[in-house]
Amino acid sequence: MIMEKKYIFATAGILVAFAVGLVGFFLVSNGVPDGLDKAMEDNGIAESEPVYTAPLTYGEDYASSLVMGVVGFFATLVLMLGILKLRRSVRSSR
Amino acid sequence: MHIPDGLMDPAVWITGWLIALVLVGIALYRIGGKLDERTIPLMAVLAAGIFVAQMLNFPIGGGTTGHLIGAALATILLGPWAAMLIVTVILVIQAMVFGDGGLTALGLNILNMAIIAPMVTWGALKLIGERNRSVGVPVAAWASVFIAATACAAELALSYSLSGGLYGITAALAFPSMMGFHLLIGIGEAIITSGVVLFLVKVSPEMLEIHKSIGQKTTEA
Repeated sequence: MIMEKKYIFATAGILVAFAVGLVGFFLVSNGVPDGLDKAMEDNGIAESEPVYTAPLTYGEDYASSLVMGVVGFFATLVLMLGILKLRRSVRSSR
Repeated sequence: MHIPDGLMDPAVWITGWLIALVLVGIALYRIGGKLDERTIPLMAVLAAGIFVAQMLNFPIGGGTTGHLIGAALATILLGPWAAMLIVTVILVIQAMVFGDGGLTALGLNILNMAIIAPMVTWGALKLIGERNRSVGVPVAAWASVFIAATACAAELALSYSLSGGLYGITAALAFPSMMGFHLLIGIGEAIITSGVVLFLVKVSPEMLEIHKSIGQKTTEA
């Protein structure tokens, strides 16, 4: 499937917004726990070892997080396209 | 709000997996009849966009941050069934590729953020009325986060109770913690979702009508 121009523009816009938003993230939020992490922390619960070790992390600095964001963006895009195209082909084959 | 491994009692996370698999299967069935050249790329780009948006935590004060779930935005644009699939795919990538959220807890994370959050959004929009968008969108977005977090608190409390304190957090602590933090995080979700919807009303109002054609009952089965 060749994407329409508007989706290519949308992709570019989202990635530019992400690159800008990531500056703010590193200025004010990096390393600060989210709601569930804080609830665990306040109740003295440490995160245990995961049962599965993922190949990547979100990155430690601006450049690596930017790269990981782009990797995640396209991984999500491809997986979603794959599932939806498969679902449509199942429908078509009936 | 990504639950890690080792936090929930096995009976709770196994139940979460079972409920998630059944409901995501139903969602996959329900969207099948309406997938076309317009909706497939839109769903994929929206999913990818929500993925990167979730990486951008924002501060809510008290040494705590929150991040967009995106279920409300996906539901408003594409309806609850498509939103369930979109957020599920995001959670799978986060857990499998980036280790954000545990593999055992993935079913519960899907249940909270990919199933409960879209259903709450859809229910709130129906209750308030889709024409009253200026009230419905922020309220539905806020409620999607708050109720999903309340469900997470219930899972923590149930885990604590079933395991005799080995897993989870006692109800007396889980509910105020999770509901208190997410009451504020939900405001962030409401502001971001309303901002995106307002932007789309200006630049591409037809996108706000697509949900009407997705997830309607089909005769394919």
